[in-house]
Parts: sequence; C-alpha cells; structure tokens
Amino acid sequence: MIVVVGLSHREAPLEIRERLAVEGDGVAGLLRALVRSPAIREALCVSTCNRIEVYAVGQQDSDEHVFAAAEAVQTALVELAGRNGSQGVVPYLRTHVRRDAVLHLFRVASSLDSLVIGEPQILGQVRDALETAKAAGSIGKYLDRATNRALHVAKRVRSETAIGEGQVSVASVAVDLARQIFGELSGRTALLVGAGEMAEGAAKLLVKAGAKLLVVNRSPERARQLALDFGGASRPWEELDAALVQADVVIASTSAKGFVVTRAMVGKAMKARRGRSLFFIDIAVPRDVDPAVNDIDNVYLYDIDNLSNIVAESMQGRRAEAERAESLVQHEANVFETWTETLGVTATIVALRAKVRASLAAEVERTLTGRLKHLTESDRKALETMIDAAVNKLLHTPTSRIKALASDPRGDDLVKALHHLFDLTEAVREIDAAKAPDASRNEDDKGTGQAAPLGQGSSPPAASGDIVPLTSARERETMGR
Amino acid sequence: MGVEFVFYATVVAYAGATALFFHYLAKPAGRATAGRVGPRVLGLAAVLHATYVCLASIIANVCPVKSIHFVASIAALLATGLYLAMRRRWNIDALGAFVAPVALTFVLGSRFVGVADQGIGGGFLALHVTVNVLGDALFFLAGGTAVLYLVEERRLKQKRAPSVFGKLPPLDALDRAEHRFLLTGFPLLTLGIITGTAWAHRIETGSPAELARAIFAFCTWVLFAGVLVLRALLGWRGRRAAYGTIAGFLFAIAVLVVYLVRGSLGGSGVAT
Repeated sequence: MIVVVGLSHREAPLEIRERLAVEGDGVAGLLRALVRSPAIREALCVSTCNRIEVYAVGQQDSDEHVFAAAEAVQTALVELAGRNGSQGVVPYLRTHVRRDAVLHLFRVASSLDSLVIGEPQILGQVRDALETAKAAGSIGKYLDRATNRALHVAKRVRSETAIGEGQVSVASVAVDLARQIFGELSGRTALLVGAGEMAEGAAKLLVKAGAKLLVVNRSPERARQLALDFGGASRPWEELDAALVQADVVIASTSAKGFVVTRAMVGKAMKARRGRSLFFIDIAVPRDVDPAVNDIDNVYLYDIDNLSNIVAESMQGRRAEAERAESLVQHEANVFETWTETLGVTATIVALRAKVRASLAAEVERTLTGRLKHLTESDRKALETMIDAAVNKLLHTPTSRIKALASDPRGDDLVKALHHLFDLTEAVREIDAAKAPDASRNEDDKGTGQAAPLGQGSSPPAASGDIVPLTSARERETMGR
Repeated sequence: MGVEFVFYATVVAYAGATALFFHYLAKPAGRATAGRVGPRVLGLAAVLHATYVCLASIIANVCPVKSIHFVASIAALLATGLYLAMRRRWNIDALGAFVAPVALTFVLGSRFVGVADQGIGGGFLALHVTVNVLGDALFFLAGGTAVLYLVEERRLKQKRAPSVFGKLPPLDALDRAEHRFLLTGFPLLTLGIITGTAWAHRIETGSPAELARAIFAFCTWVLFAGVLVLRALLGWRGRRAAYGTIAGFLFAIAVLVVYLVRGSLGGSGVAT
C-alpha cells in the first residue's frame, strides 16, 4: 500500500534537484494537496539538499490503488517543478512500492542512501519530515508507524555499527579546501551570504581558524545577529558586490530561486581584486552561485555535490560498517512487512474473538440470572475474568497460526474458512468500515491488541535494484509482494 | 679517488632525497617520516655537492664560476640551498620533489656534458657567470613552483579529492613563492644580459651558438619582464603567471644547454 516517488543525488544532478527544492510551508502545502487527492490517504515528504521524496499510502492495498497513489505523487512533483519554472524532471523520478518503499525509507533514515554514508543530519531531517506531515494533517497510522520505525532503525544502526565514527563534515571539508587555496586563514575574510545551518557551521570553523567574518543577508536583523554571534560585521544586501571584492572565502546559502552571485559580478570583483584568489562554497539548493564563475581564473567554486563527493571519497573505509548496517535494515524491513501483512487478518481475528467472547458471555449471563443468581459481585467479576482467560487460551493457537500464515497464499483460504465457519463476514465488514480512511488520525494499535506484535522470519528480502521509473512500475504485474 | 667518492655520494644523496619526496607526496597519509627525512637528505646532498665542487675545482685548479663544467652544477646547488633556506618560511616543502631530481640531473649532466678543466678568463666574465648562475637557480625554483601551482590549481578546479598530490603547498603560497623567486632572479638576469652583451661585443665571434644563446637569453628576459609587469599592472597572477614563468624557465634552460653543449664541443665558453 505504501509507495515512494522522488529523486535523489543517486540519479539526479544538482541542477535537476534544485528544480524540486521545497521547504517549510511549501512542504506542508504539497502534503495537504496530496491528501486532498482521492488516490492518497497518507503522505510524507523528505526534502533535503540531496533528495526530495514523497511517501504516500493509497486508499486500499490493491495494485490499482498503489499505482493511482504513485501517479498522483508524480503529478504533484511535476507541478512543483513547473511552479519553479522548470520541466523535465520525470526521467529522474524513481518509484518504490510496498516492501521496497519501506526498505528505502529505512535506508534513507539510516543514512545508507546518503551521499556521505553515516552522516548524522538525515535522522533529524526525517524526524522534521514526520513533524511537518503531522502538522499538515497528512500522516496516518501506516506512515506514522513506518517513519517511527525508520527512526528507530536509524538509531539502532548508529548505535550497533561504527558507521558514524570519524565523521568528516561538509563544513570541515570546505575549510580544508580554503586552506589548500590560502594556507593560513588568519587575517582572511569569510563572507556569509544567507544563513543555513551548514553555512553557519562552516563560518564557525573559518572564524575559529582566524578568519574575519562578513555577513550579507536580505534580512538586516538576521545579518546583524549572525555577525554578533561570530564577532564579525554585517553589510546590507545592496553591498554584496563590494563585499565580494573584500572577501576571500564566500559561503552562499540563501533560499533564493535564482543565482544571487553571477559570473558578471565575480568578473567585475576579480578585476577590482587584481586577481587575488576567491573561493566560493555554495551549499544552497537551488544554487546561489552561477557555475560559470569556476571558469574565471583564480576563482574556485564548490557546490554541495562537490563537497559531499570529497567527503564520501575520504570515507571509503566505512564500507564494511555500511554492509553490517544494510543487513540490519533489511531485517527490520522484513519485520515491518510482516506487521503490514498481519493488518489484513486483524479484522478477522478481532471478529473471531468478539464472537467467541460474546457467545461465552451470553451463556454465563443466562446462568447468572438463573441458578447462580445468588453469586456476589466479586464472584461475578471472577467469572468475567475467567471468560477472558478462556477466550485467550482457546484462541491463542488459532490467532498465532492466522498471523503466521498472513504472508502465505494459504492464509486467504484460512481466513475465508473462518468467515464461513463462524459466520464472520458481516462482522469483519463492520470492523473494516470502522477503520475508514482518516488522514488526520494518528493512532496505533492500542485497544485491539491484535496487530501490535511484530512477527519474525518472513520471506527473504527481494533482490536489490528495485528502483524503477514509474512508467515501468505500472507495467509490472506483481509489485514486490 | 676521494673526489669520485664524494661525487657518487652526492648522486646517491640526491637520488635518495628524490625518492623520499615522491614517497611523501604519493601517500595521502601516514608518511610523515618521509616528509621529515626528505629535506634532511637533500641538505646532506647539498653539503656533499658543495664539497665535491670545492675539491674538484682545487684539483682542476680552476675557479668554479670560471668553469663550464661547474656552471650547471653550481646553479643546481644554489637552487637546493635556496629551497632549503626558504622552504619553511614560504611553506613550499613539496617543491623538494622538483628540486631534488632536477639537481640530480644537473649534477650528472655537468659531469658528462661539460669539460672539466676548461677555464674562462677574466673577472668581468666571472661576474657575468656568477649572476647568471644565481639567476638560473632562482628561475629553476620559480619554474618548479609554477609547475606545482598548475598541478594543484587543476586539481582544485576539477574538484578532485587530494590523492597523489595531496601534500602540495597552498595555491597562494606557491604563487607568492614563484613571484618572489622571479622578482629576485630578474635583476640578476638583467645584469647577466648586460655583462654578456658587453663581453660579446668585445670578442665579436658571432658564432651561431652565441647568436642562439643571445636570442634565448633575450626571450627569457622579455618573458619574465612580461610576467612581472602584467602582475603588477593588471593583476595577472596564478595560472597565467605560472605559464609565463614556465615558458621563461624553458628559455633559461635552453641558454644553459647551448652553453654546456658548446663547452663540450670545445668552444670558448663565453656566456651571454
């Protein structure tokens, strides 16, 4: 029932990713629009500088509904790219369905799909995505459980493997590069254009290395505050050109849709600088600095992909840990899949228990109003407890077997047989109706006590390489079951 | 026999220093020892080299700067000495990977190309040779620095992680060092050209080799002058300055080669 449609650094270069860049209110708006679609019951969007992926749950579990949900998400993403003034993102979109989608979410949260394997930021970004979806009212039982499970898996990966040890950050690589150009950084000037978390990290390291800080921001208050925090100076946005002449290292991280530093601006600044080297660190998505500035003599431009690639290259030794983490994530995905499959037999189990308990309770009640009407209140309560215990004992084995066969083709026959033998069809229909789709609902399995245990040892994980374009996915006869 | 021993010890020391510097550069991490030992071995090579030049000139009974045989050798020795003196102050440690092999080549070259006992007469000519040799040493360092600059600049432009050349000095340090070597060498080159021109007028041999040497020397001067002037006036630094410096260095080498070849052919050894 779950599907994920999106793109990441793996298949889409930065110039494609920036067409789909969306954050804050934009993400909430996208999610609200998605759950208004008749095809989608729940939606969650993970939007970072390296990926934008929308996880969605269709109205029902059939292939038809899953495809409809995937198509609705794809349409929404294409519209988003269109609003950003760009087309042509469709060839880069990738789709995963059902178990593969869950596995993908687990891998993303565990930073196994990150450009820099083991980087810690993604965990917070997935958590933020969940909070945004909750605030937008687009999260429901399934995605809430899947995302929380993903966060749990990510924490396990970080605590049970050494994947996050010896971390090299993008900010520290940026400062190392500045040293490779300028040598000692004391006395150099770092210019902060805009302010993101990563940019502030790099600025902090540069200041620590002795650089002076200049801040240029569209919001003068924000510029002043940042300058104050780092002991630097602020300049109005209009003085960006002059600041480029003064600076040695420029860290750009605005949320502007277009280039804020153009080739012409840098060409002019380089004349005034008399050829002194200028190093740009562009960590904004969409990018802030025109890539053509790298062609100018003595100008060096590194964007987020360039920096991340260097970080990734420097951490090749993490492969063995990544493999350990991978098997852990696969196991967790299997466990989750089993839970998902038991969801299909939950209504039958609930109906069966209710029927058996109701029958026993009715017989006891008749006796209590007849021959045993002299029993005290405490005796009656003891009898009630005995009925519950009898129901649990009687149905323990059948319940376990139904759950165990949930992922087996024979499970359907068993469920049908139960419906027939105990006349459960109507009761199951009522229970399903009571679980009617409600995107704003965010509850777990409390109360039923049926679906909560996560099963073990389901079928082995599907082979990797399941990333397929949506159009191909539609043509698949089976969808990863 | 003793001189021979010192000569071969010099060659071995230069070769060892070369290997250590390349080892230091080729390994991205964990080869700090090679980085520490390399300059020391190069220093030992320079001491042996100086000893060899002194002993050999005493035996040949000729002032080193008046001998074609020693000119290239002394240029390499001076370059090595300058590098060792400035490597820390100018942060150009990795330049040793250029200095050591080229010094080795010059030592071997002067041994087998030049004629050991060919003296050059006159104090005026000795001055001419001395400034040229000093200038060549500086241009040799400037050329090496420019090569390293281009390697590092290319890597940074292409956004490759530091690997084989991971320990190259910072770009700005290389650019500054190249400019300083050039700035110091240029007056010496100018003086060398003036004294050489005056001497050429005096002897008026007009051989094709002398003509070629004069042309190459003037080309060197024009190129270096252009690099310095354009840097001062238009801010041409970095890659453009490096290309200009390398071109000038190649012309300076051409002058030296013509000088050595002519010497080996038994000419008068007049340098321009």
